[in-house]
Amino acid sequence: MKTTGFKAIFVRSVLQIVRRPIYWVAFFFLPLFIFLMMSSLMSEGLPFQVPAAIVDKDGSTVSREVSQTLAGMQLVDVRKTCNSFTEARHDMQKGDIFGYFLIPENFQQDLLSGRKPEITFYTNMTYFVPATMLLKTFQATALYTKAGITMNVLEAVGATPDQVTPLLLPVNIEARAIHNPGLNYAIYLCNSFVPCVLQLMIFLVTCFSLGQEIKYGTSVKLIRMAGGSTIKALAAKLMPQTIIWMVIAIFMEAWLFKINGYPVYGSWFWLTLSELMFVLACQGMALFFFGLFPNLRLSLSISALTGILSFSIAAFSFPVESMYPAVGIFSWIVPTRYNFLIYIDQALNGIDIYYSRIWFVAYIVFMLLPLLLVRRIGKCMEKPVYAP
Amino acid sequence: MKKNISLFRQLFDVYCREFRLVVHDQGIILFFLFLPLAYPVIYSLIYNPEVVRDVRMVVVDHDRTSRSRELVRNIDATQNAWVIGYAAEMGEARRAMDSHKCYAIMEIPEGFGQKIGRGEQANAVIYVESSLLLRYRGLLMGSNAVAQAMGAEIRSEKIDLVAPLASTITDGNLMDIDNVAMGNIESGFDSFIMPGVLILILHQCIVLAVGMAGGAKRERPELIGYNGVNAMPSVAMTMLGQMLCYITILIVPVFFLIHYVPLIFAFPMAGSVWQIFTFLVPMVLACMGLGFCVQGIVWERESVFVIWVVTSVMFLFLSGLTWPRYAMPPVWMAISDCIPATWGLEGFIRMNTNGASLSQVSGDYLHLWILAGVYLTLGYCVQRWVVRPSLNKGYDSYGFVRVREI
Repeated sequence: MKTTGFKAIFVRSVLQIVRRPIYWVAFFFLPLFIFLMMSSLMSEGLPFQVPAAIVDKDGSTVSREVSQTLAGMQLVDVRKTCNSFTEARHDMQKGDIFGYFLIPENFQQDLLSGRKPEITFYTNMTYFVPATMLLKTFQATALYTKAGITMNVLEAVGATPDQVTPLLLPVNIEARAIHNPGLNYAIYLCNSFVPCVLQLMIFLVTCFSLGQEIKYGTSVKLIRMAGGSTIKALAAKLMPQTIIWMVIAIFMEAWLFKINGYPVYGSWFWLTLSELMFVLACQGMALFFFGLFPNLRLSLSISALTGILSFSIAAFSFPVESMYPAVGIFSWIVPTRYNFLIYIDQALNGIDIYYSRIWFVAYIVFMLLPLLLVRRIGKCMEKPVYAP
Repeated sequence: MKKNISLFRQLFDVYCREFRLVVHDQGIILFFLFLPLAYPVIYSLIYNPEVVRDVRMVVVDHDRTSRSRELVRNIDATQNAWVIGYAAEMGEARRAMDSHKCYAIMEIPEGFGQKIGRGEQANAVIYVESSLLLRYRGLLMGSNAVAQAMGAEIRSEKIDLVAPLASTITDGNLMDIDNVAMGNIESGFDSFIMPGVLILILHQCIVLAVGMAGGAKRERPELIGYNGVNAMPSVAMTMLGQMLCYITILIVPVFFLIHYVPLIFAFPMAGSVWQIFTFLVPMVLACMGLGFCVQGIVWERESVFVIWVVTSVMFLFLSGLTWPRYAMPPVWMAISDCIPATWGLEGFIRMNTNGASLSQVSGDYLHLWILAGVYLTLGYCVQRWVVRPSLNKGYDSYGFVRVREI
């Protein structure tokens, strides 16, 4: 077999991957495990049946009706009836419940005599999702109660039901989430976090495989096999990885949008193109890191740092426009941000490709980025120095 | 007596040797010091604005009456929305949304003002782009508040129309409704996510550092005096010495994480820092035990990055911070039970944010001690039967990897 040339390096690179278990873990086990975990963890869409408590200090017919209305709501699971505020607060501190609904003493009496009692509900906002769901349910319960009582009082003074009904809620503003009407949490989290996991693994594996060559001094041989051309050496070395990552990216796309059935309102073509270019963009970015720090540990550190920070800085949950501008600009330096934006435009909102054109250009910029540092990488590969 | 002295001697030797190793290894120092000192600051800065204010909105007003304008003014006046302009029809509004100029469209149908005048229910719809749930959440809250406020006003105006002199009995508002956010009182995103992330950072920095220290030893055992000729301290003493060394290094980062970061970024701090510290001791021990286990598969120092960094994401989701534990399928619940960060995070959040005392989180505390026991035992087994034999072989144990696989 030839010992130089593109094909020889390619075969060498494939053998390296096949022989070391760590590559199996990094290429297949970890990404696939996380794909599976994320979607199956949140398969219900929303964490229904939030544990909650009710503190009924009144014990009247009206307060019992309120308790029953609350217990009948889909989102809550009223686990306890507490006797006092303190008891409920202790239960919340212990983590048994995420919030509680307090009906004050003399509620019914005050209500009927027009002394305006106050219903208060407490939600543990340290857990955002369940607390928000509780808040919504508590609010709805309180409003129903209020509406029911208002209706009774007004009918008692002689109004007819069809006169009273519009007065209960004279202005109704409905907020609708486009294309995710059930606010499915899995759609919202998986489609952003799963590609970001892929990005992290691409960063790490690319830097690891190149750093190994430097660490063990085999990069000299690699360059020689490529006839002294750094680009050829890098391309042939990374090609098998590119192929594997692309297969995984396509699998990821199929997993998310076909198997899990997350919505795609736009074109499959652009979505697929985006995933393929995303792989190349991530590899480009990783190569760029490696060019900046042609050292195994430093390049891996910067990959890990950027890769993990991407989960926050790419603004999957907290919007860029709400961040400090000086922090927000960094959201534009990670490929996964563009993957997310293209997903929003092309899959979730299904708008014209015209509006996403810039994001695709960004991918190309990431791919070209390492060209700036090819010479530096080449030099370091010819004279490898391992600094632990 | 003699045996005791020699045990202390062994412990002391291991402690000093480990200290030298850690101090001279930039990689491990990075995990032990840089990670817990820099990461929380960077993270907190990202989320520090806490709430999503002024989501950009375009209004399509088919009504154009004083009532519809009042509605728009009220929506614009909430902290949640920012009306950037009017669009003549839905198509124009859609184009604004497609070109990422706005994230919400409010459509007010024709007859909005007329319906209010007639005493009928008037409707308006806000369409929110649903890529980020925080925007939707804000607009939902804001629009609810506006609808309630406008409703109350209209009700008190119209109440006499439905029944004569009804206003002498009630203005239509028979009871007040109040919501109190506990713990994270301004419902901020930073105060929600960061206490959990702090614990995850601590967890990961310990496991990564211990894992890497193991890799460093297995790569070059001869450098730090491990070879088949020298008598080595017993496995248990070695582990104990190493743990003491790591704890010494970790004291400052731990206090920085649990006390100073919340102080700097004004996170809720309702708990007692000493109780929290006591609570975290078993978590730190469990993480070290986990690190000793990880050493079994870390052949070289850098591979710990490739196999362990991504687990942070896994642990974040399994911890129940974003997706509560009560709603997890049993399999994931079981896996989540085995992760020290799950319990550490839950207990820390309750103590730090909700002001629970150590006795109120005793369940989590107990779990952490059990995990510490289990992982340290497992770690001992791994050290004794996997790591130690390969260290005894010295340089050769790694040599074959070098020749065959690279």
